[in-house]
Amino acid sequence: MSLTVIKGLQSEIYVPITPPVVWTPVEKPLKDMTVAIATAAGVHLKSDKTFNLAGDTSYRVIPGDSDSKDLMVSHGGYDNSDVNKDINCMFPIDRLRELAEEGFIKGIAPKHVGFMGGGGDVQVFKEKTGPEIAEILLNEGVDAVLLTAG
Amino acid sequence: MIVQRAIEAAGIPTIVIAALPPVVRQNGAPRVSAPLVPMGANAGEPNNPEMQRAIVRDTLEQLVKIETPGRIVSLPYQYIAKI
Repeated sequence: MSLTVIKGLQSEIYVPITPPVVWTPVEKPLKDMTVAIATAAGVHLKSDKTFNLAGDTSYRVIPGDSDSKDLMVSHGGYDNSDVNKDINCMFPIDRLRELAEEGFIKGIAPKHVGFMGGGGDVQVFKEKTGPEIAEILLNEGVDAVLLTAG
Repeated sequence: MIVQRAIEAAGIPTIVIAALPPVVRQNGAPRVSAPLVPMGANAGEPNNPEMQRAIVRDTLEQLVKIETPGRIVSLPYQYIAKI
């Protein structure tokens, strides 16, 4: 018995496919690591250009010595009320500084990155935004990146 | 997750603090920590530095501990937003 009723029939709904593994092993202890934050939460300096809330593939560099009070969020994809009260909810830079001061990590990176995840042109994120952000972090020689997203 | 994967592929180890672990699993995040938080407060309750510091500290510890790509580690911190 054949279960095929119509040959070549395909669902028009795409099945999500988990992409292949990417993996870089950790090679030093935390106390020797300089750590950067990258967030999909749309964080940037108040003085910087806001994101286009309908979808934006650009990113903003956030200097490591920024005062958390000088940061803000523009993101059209989640409830901003918590992060508007305290940017550390999505960009825990004050917490990372405290962990560096107590010697838990070696230090915080000179540059961090904010972008607007959860939308926008996936192709551009894959081919341009992602690799460009990776290059910024690679050039400043960070040992690990902490992300907030999803 | 696209950006996390790009950073990891460039040779820097990464971990993401996720409010929606199934979503990040689907998208191939290499390492994930998952406190019980709503989307938008992934690193913990606003103006609760103790919780935030614990989440960041535990997440960084998991960066070193996780040995299996795609592993999601639940963190024992909960914040329920008052809406």
